[in-house]
Amino acid sequence: MVNWVGLAVPFAYVGILVGSLATFSSLYRKRKAASSASLEPWFPAHLQRNIYLSLLHLEPAPGQEKATPVPDSVLKAALLQRACEDIRRVLAVRSAKQPLSTLLQRGSVGDDLWQRFLRAEKEVEAELRDVVEEANALQSGWGQVIFQSANEMVNNAIIREKVAETQAKAKADRDWWDKERANIQSNFMKELDDADVSKGTTSASGNERPGSDEDAVLVEGGGPASSGSAAGKGGKGGKKRKGKK
Amino acid sequence: MDETFTLLPLQIDPSSKALSALSLPDLSSHLTTLNALHRTLLSLPSENHATPPAPLPSNPKRTAQIDKMRDQANSLLRKSSPASAQEAVKLYTYAIEMALGRPGWEPAGMVREQASVLFANRSQAYMAVQMWPEGASDAETSVGLKRVGNGKAWWRRGRCLMEMGRWEEARTWVKEGVEVEGGGEGAGELANLGKEIEAEMGRRGMVVG
Repeated sequence: MVNWVGLAVPFAYVGILVGSLATFSSLYRKRKAASSASLEPWFPAHLQRNIYLSLLHLEPAPGQEKATPVPDSVLKAALLQRACEDIRRVLAVRSAKQPLSTLLQRGSVGDDLWQRFLRAEKEVEAELRDVVEEANALQSGWGQVIFQSANEMVNNAIIREKVAETQAKAKADRDWWDKERANIQSNFMKELDDADVSKGTTSASGNERPGSDEDAVLVEGGGPASSGSAAGKGGKGGKKRKGKK
Repeated sequence: MDETFTLLPLQIDPSSKALSALSLPDLSSHLTTLNALHRTLLSLPSENHATPPAPLPSNPKRTAQIDKMRDQANSLLRKSSPASAQEAVKLYTYAIEMALGRPGWEPAGMVREQASVLFANRSQAYMAVQMWPEGASDAETSVGLKRVGNGKAWWRRGRCLMEMGRWEEARTWVKEGVEVEGGGEGAGELANLGKEIEAEMGRRGMVVG
């Protein structure tokens, strides 16, 4: 005769054990999934991608029955912009990879940062494939060159930015120089009045260099760009340089 | 990437095909560049079907035009009168605009090369009419585009700074130029300019560090 009461105790023990383990495991997994899902994305929202896809799913404007069909050329432009942003992301991922893995080995950064990074890398890869497919769908064979074009576009944008930056300095420099020159000129005129040099009346031509009046007088005589020992050198150098290229 | 995206409230103008998003002002700058790009795509020859060609080989027409302008400006500059130098500045400016106005997908290296020569030449033209600040910043731009093998531009900025009496700046600039150029073209002249600057600074009783 089986003692049911006696048997119930070990069964209950095993049941509680397995049940608590299962609860723990499921809770743990859920929490881990939630934390990895809540990892901040590496890059901000891909605006160019959103624009491109929104164009594919364009909704009719208010008051219109049907949406205006988007011409292929607009889609191509949008895709090209998307590819440019992808190039920037690829560059960012590539340049971040080496230092980040070093930091991870040293323990300077946490594991979740690395996880975020790996995910970003995968996303970028998938995105590149996606763009190539889209490009080939719009125009056969474009997939092979779209990233070359995009790469040049990114480089060109960098060049133009740099040029604009240095060129902007010219304006500030000009303001400074106008003030400086007015200063020098007034000093020079004062000295002239003191010395009563009649030759100096043409000083408005703006040849002066900051410094002593002796220099300034030389400039008046020496014509453009030079004074003293600089005259020969400057003239020669200038001539040699002209129109070589 | 996730299979989702954010649907943006975009509108397309039925006639001009220009995109806009009235409810999202943040987007407007992106859409402006997109519209500009679209117009450039449409200006491509029709056999391209509005698809940018591969960066190489590039369209030679624009290069020829820029070269023509540059040669014209160079010959104007050779006349060495202030009026023709002013004219040369204008021509160089047009050429620079053309070089920088190339469609973005054309090779960036070529733009860099051309623009650096044009800026260096315009710097020379500015120097001929004694506009030192403009000359200085043009030469700096040229060096920024092409650091090595650009001894003339290094020299010109040094000269311009010197003319403006910015001795210390000129000295450091020329020194850097000599280091970058090494034994290349124009390095000797750069070194001479450096010596000249230091001599001048010594004469003015400045400390040459």
